[in-house]
Amino acid sequence: MRWLGLSLAGPAIWAAGFTLVYALHGAGCAQGWTDIAVAGAVSLHALLLWSAWLATLAAGGLLLARLLAAAPKAPGLVRALPRAGAWIGLGATAFTLLPVALATSC
Amino acid sequence: MAREIAWLWWAMLGGATALTALVLVLLAMAFGPPRAVRPRRWTHGLGLWLSMAVLGTTLAGGLWVGERILPRDDGAIEVRAHARQWHWEFTHPGPEGPVTIRDELTIPAGMPVDILITAEDVIHSFWVPQLGGKTDAIPGRTNRLRLTADAPGRLRGICAEFCGLGHAGMRFDVRVVPAADWPAALIAEEASE
Amino acid sequence: MTDATADRTPAEARAETLAIPANPPQRALALHRALDRVWRNDRGWWGQVTAVNHTTLGLRFMGTALVFFAIGGVLAMLVRTQLATPGGAFLDTELYNQIFTMHGSIMMFLFAIPMLEGLGIYLLPKMLGTRDLAFPRLTALGYWCYLFGGLILLAALLFGVAPRDGWFMYTPLSGATHSPGINADVWLLGITFVEISALCAAVEITVTILRQRAPGMRLTEMPLFAWYMLGTSAMMLVGFPPLILASVLLEIERAFDWPFFEVARGGDPLLWQHLFWLFGHPEVYIIFLPAAGALSTIIPVMCRTEILGYGAIVAAILALVFLSFGLWVHHMFTVGIPHMALAFFSAASLLVAVPTAVQVFAWIGTMWKGRPELHLPMYHILGFFLTFVMGGLTGVMLAVVPFNWQAHDTAFVTAHLHYVLIGGFVFPMMAAAAWWMPLVSGRARIRSLGEAAFWLILVGFHGTFFLMHLTGLLGMPRRIDVYPDNPEWIWLNLTSSVFGFVMTIGFALFALDLVLQAVMGQRSRRDPWRAPTLDWSLALPTPSYTFASIPGPRQLDRPAGAVALPLARGEGLLPGAPRPRRELLVTTVGDARPDHVALLPGNSALPLAVAAAIGSFVLLMLAGFYALTPLSLVLVAVLVWCWGRGLVRQGDAAPVEVAPGLSLPVQTARRRTLGWSGNLCLLLANGTFFASLIFGVGFLSLVAPGWPAPPARAADAGAAGWVVVALLALLVAAICARLADARQRNGHVSGRPALAGVAGNAVALVAIAALALLHMDDPTQHARDALRGVLAGYAALHALTAGGLAAFAWQQLRRGEIATRHGGALPTWRLWQDFAAATALIGAALVIGQEALG
Repeated sequence: MRWLGLSLAGPAIWAAGFTLVYALHGAGCAQGWTDIAVAGAVSLHALLLWSAWLATLAAGGLLLARLLAAAPKAPGLVRALPRAGAWIGLGATAFTLLPVALATSC
Repeated sequence: MAREIAWLWWAMLGGATALTALVLVLLAMAFGPPRAVRPRRWTHGLGLWLSMAVLGTTLAGGLWVGERILPRDDGAIEVRAHARQWHWEFTHPGPEGPVTIRDELTIPAGMPVDILITAEDVIHSFWVPQLGGKTDAIPGRTNRLRLTADAPGRLRGICAEFCGLGHAGMRFDVRVVPAADWPAALIAEEASE
Repeated sequence: MTDATADRTPAEARAETLAIPANPPQRALALHRALDRVWRNDRGWWGQVTAVNHTTLGLRFMGTALVFFAIGGVLAMLVRTQLATPGGAFLDTELYNQIFTMHGSIMMFLFAIPMLEGLGIYLLPKMLGTRDLAFPRLTALGYWCYLFGGLILLAALLFGVAPRDGWFMYTPLSGATHSPGINADVWLLGITFVEISALCAAVEITVTILRQRAPGMRLTEMPLFAWYMLGTSAMMLVGFPPLILASVLLEIERAFDWPFFEVARGGDPLLWQHLFWLFGHPEVYIIFLPAAGALSTIIPVMCRTEILGYGAIVAAILALVFLSFGLWVHHMFTVGIPHMALAFFSAASLLVAVPTAVQVFAWIGTMWKGRPELHLPMYHILGFFLTFVMGGLTGVMLAVVPFNWQAHDTAFVTAHLHYVLIGGFVFPMMAAAAWWMPLVSGRARIRSLGEAAFWLILVGFHGTFFLMHLTGLLGMPRRIDVYPDNPEWIWLNLTSSVFGFVMTIGFALFALDLVLQAVMGQRSRRDPWRAPTLDWSLALPTPSYTFASIPGPRQLDRPAGAVALPLARGEGLLPGAPRPRRELLVTTVGDARPDHVALLPGNSALPLAVAAAIGSFVLLMLAGFYALTPLSLVLVAVLVWCWGRGLVRQGDAAPVEVAPGLSLPVQTARRRTLGWSGNLCLLLANGTFFASLIFGVGFLSLVAPGWPAPPARAADAGAAGWVVVALLALLVAAICARLADARQRNGHVSGRPALAGVAGNAVALVAIAALALLHMDDPTQHARDALRGVLAGYAALHALTAGGLAAFAWQQLRRGEIATRHGGALPTWRLWQDFAAATALIGAALVIGQEALG
C-alpha cells in the first residue's frame, strides 16, 4: 500500500507548492512586499516567490530521483504509478508556476 | 487592446479547428479492421507531447498579450466608473474639475484611458465589447482597466455581471471624440444634462 | 497490507498468494432462495421505504435524477422561448431570474451529481464482485436527503419563491440586503441538504472500492471504471466541503447578521467566490470522471479489444484529481486579481487539458487497435468525441487571460460549458444507458428508436449551442431577458431556440425509448455484449444479493460469461446464506487478500427518519423559527445513537468458513472495520471543511478591505484561561481514548477511561460556552469576531460529537459488549477525539496569531 501513498506524493508536492506560492503572492501584494528591496533590485516579494518555486521544484525532483533510483522490484503499475505521480508533480510545478518568472507581480 | 485580443482569438480558432479536424480524421480512420498499434505513440506522443506543445505555445501567447495590455503608470487619463443598481456614473477629469455624467462615458480617440471601476451595492461588470475586455465592479475595491479607442464614434457598453432585476437594462453609451475636442466635449455634455 | 514484490505476472502472484480452494458446487436455485430471503427488500410500499439495497437505490437515484433532468430541461426551454425574440414578453424578469437560476442549480446539483452517484452505487458492487456497498443505510440516507432537498427547491419554484441570484449565488446580491425573502435561503439550505447525499455516496464508494474488491482483484488491475469512481469520490470528499462552508457562512450572515461577505464590516464578497469555485471547478471533473469511466468500459468491448494504455489512463486520473483543484480562479479572471496570479491559474487551466488529451487519444487508439462496431452506444460515443473535443478546445481558449476578459460572462461561455457538460457527461451517460439497460431491465431494446433520438439530440444540440459562441463574441452577456437594442443577436437567438426544441424532442424520444425497453422489450440474453467485467456475469435483471458466491481468484481471469454458472452454483467464496444475515467479504487495499467477513445491517426505516429529522431542521430555519432548531438537532443525535446501536446487535461473532479450510473472523473481531475506514473518509471531508475555514480567516485578515478590525475585547486573561481549560480538557479526553483503546487490546476492559472522556468533553464544552458568553466580542460587529464565533462553534460541535462517541463506548463497556477481541466504538471515538483536539488547537493558535500580529 506504500506505493499508493507514494503515487500521491508527487501531485501533493505540487499542490503544496502551488498553494504556498499563491498565498505568498496574495499576501505580498496586500502587504506591499514588492516595495521592500532585499538585495539590490530584488524585492522581498520576488525573492519569496522564487524561493518557494525553486524549493517545490527541488522537492519534486528529489522525489523523482529517489523513485527512479529505487530497484525495480514491483511489477507494472505498482512501480510505474509513483513515478508517473512524481513526473506529474514536477511537470505541473514547472508549468503552472512559470509566471513567477514571466508575469507582472501585482 | 481589442486588436491584440482579436489576433489571439483568430490564432486560437485556427489551432482549435485543426485539432478538431485531426481528432475527427483519426476517428474516421479507426473504423476498419484491427491494426497493430504502439500504445505509447497514442498516450505519450499525441496525448502528452502534442498537447504540451500546443498548450505551451498558447500559454506563451496569452502571457505576452496579457502583459502588453496591462495598465502602466504612464499618466494616462483616468475616468471613474461607479456602478449601482442599475446605472453607471462616469466621473471625468474636466478642465474645471471633475465632470460626472450618468450612463455616458466620453473618452478621446487614440489615447490610452484608464477606467477606475467601483461599485455601490452589488457586483457589476464594466464592458464595452468593441474596446476590449471586461472588469468587475466590486464593493470595497477599485479595479483598473485600460482602454484605447481607435476612432471617434458612438459605442455601447453593458453590465456583464448579473446584478438583479435591472441587469439587462444596465447599459451605457460611450462617446469617442477626437482627442483635440475632448475636454470641451465634456463641458458641452455637462451643460446638456 | 504489503504488496507482492518479485517480477511475476499478476496471475502468478495471485495463484501464489491466494491458493484458495474452490467450494463444492450446490444447487443454484436453493442458494438463490436462501440468499434472496436474507437480502431482498420488504414487500409493498413499506419495502420501498426501508430498502437499503444498492441496486434499488442506485436505480432510484438515477430515476429521480432523470426526472430532475426533465424539469431542468423544461426550464431551459422557457429560457429559450423568452430569448427567441428581443423583446420577449413571455416571462417577467423576476420569474426569468428564478428560472435560469433553477435551471443551473437543478442540472448541477439535482441531475448530474445524483446521476453519477446512482451509476456508481448501482454498478460498483457488481463490477467489483461484492454483494452491496459498505454502508447500505448510508446509501438510503443519501437518497432521502437528495429527495427532500430537491423537493424543497421544487416547492419554492411552484410557490414563486425560488432562488433568483444565479446558480453561483454571488454575494452581496444574495445577501440579506439585496435579496430579502427566503429565495436565497432555499438555495443555501436546500442545496446543502442535497450535498449530504454527495458526501454519503463519496464515503461509501471510496471504502467499497478500496476494501470490498473480489479476492485477488488487485488495485492495479481493477476495472478502469472503479479507478474513475475512486478519483471522483476522493474529489467529492475534498471538493464539496468548501461549498458547504460557504453556504453555512452565508446562511449565518443572512439569518443572524454575522458579517462574512459584507465589506463594511470586514467581510469580502470575493471570499464567497473563492469558496464557491474551489468547489465549482473540481465539480466539472467530478461530473466528467464517471462518464469517462463509462467510456473506458464500453469502448474496448464495442471494438472487441482491450483498453489501450491502462496505466497511462490511471496516471491521467491521478493528474486530473489534483490539477482540477488548481484552476478555480479562472472563473474569477475579471475581479481585478494581479496578472501573475491570473497567470498561475491560466497555466494550470491549460495544463489540465493534458491528462484529458491522454484519455481521448487512448480511446481513439483503442478503436484503432480493435474493430469498432456501430451499435447504439457507439453512436453516443461518437457524439461525445465531436462535442467534447470542441468544448475542451473552447475551454483552452477561455483559460487564456486576455481572451477570457473578452468572452467571460457572455453566451460564448454558455456555449462552452454546455459543450463540455453535455458532451462530456450527457452523451457518455446515454451510451451507458444503452449499454447497461439490459442489466437493469433484463430486456433488449426496441430497434431504431434510440438512433432517431441520438440524431435529434446531436443536431438539436449543435444547432442550439454552436451559434451561441458567435452570439457571445458579438457581445451578448449571460442572464439577460431582453435585448431590444441589439438587432444583430436576433436571428442567432431565434435559431438557437428552434434547435433547442429539436434537442428537447430528442431527449423525450430517448426517455420514451428507455420506458418502452423496460416495459415491452424482448428478454435479453445474459451478457449480450460479451463483456469482460463481472457485472455481466449476473442473471438479468440482477438478483437482490448480487452474487450467490463471491468471485475468487479462479473466476477473475475468465470472461464474465464463463464464470456466471460457477458463481451461481456457489463455487466462489462465502456461498449462499447459511446464516440468516447479510454477509460480504472485506479484502486488503492493495492485493485484495481476504481479511474478514462484514455483517451488513438489513432493511431499515432509520435512514428515512434521520433524513426527516434533518429536513425538520432545514424547514425550521427556512421558516425563521431559529429557537426551535436545537430540537431537530437533538432528534438527529438520538436517531444517530439508535443507528450505532443497530450495528452493535448483530449476533454471533464466530469465525466464518468462506472456502474449504479458510475461516475468517467477522468484523467485530477486527479493528480496521469498514466503519473505521468510513470514518477516516468522513474526517478527510471534515478536515477540508476546517481547512477552508482557516483559509477564510487568513484571506479576510490579509486581503479584505475592512481591516484591521477594531481592537478586540477577547485579548484578556480570562479569555486565555478559558481557552487553556478547553484545550486541556480535550487533550485529557484524547489521552483517555488512547488509554481505553490500549487497555481493551491488552485485555483490561474497563469503563473508567471512557467515563473520564465524557467528562473531559463536557468540561471543554462548558469552557467554550463561558468563553463565548463572557469574553468574546459581539459577532455581528466585525468579520473577525464572526469568524471567531464560527471557530468556537466548530470546536463545541466536535467536543459534543467526541463526547457522544465516548458515552456510546462507555455504554458498550458497561453492557459488556466490548471484549478483548472486540473494540466496539473505541477506535472510532479515538479518531474523532484526536480530530477534535487537533482542530481546537489549530483554531486557538490561529486566533492567538491574529492577536499577536494584528
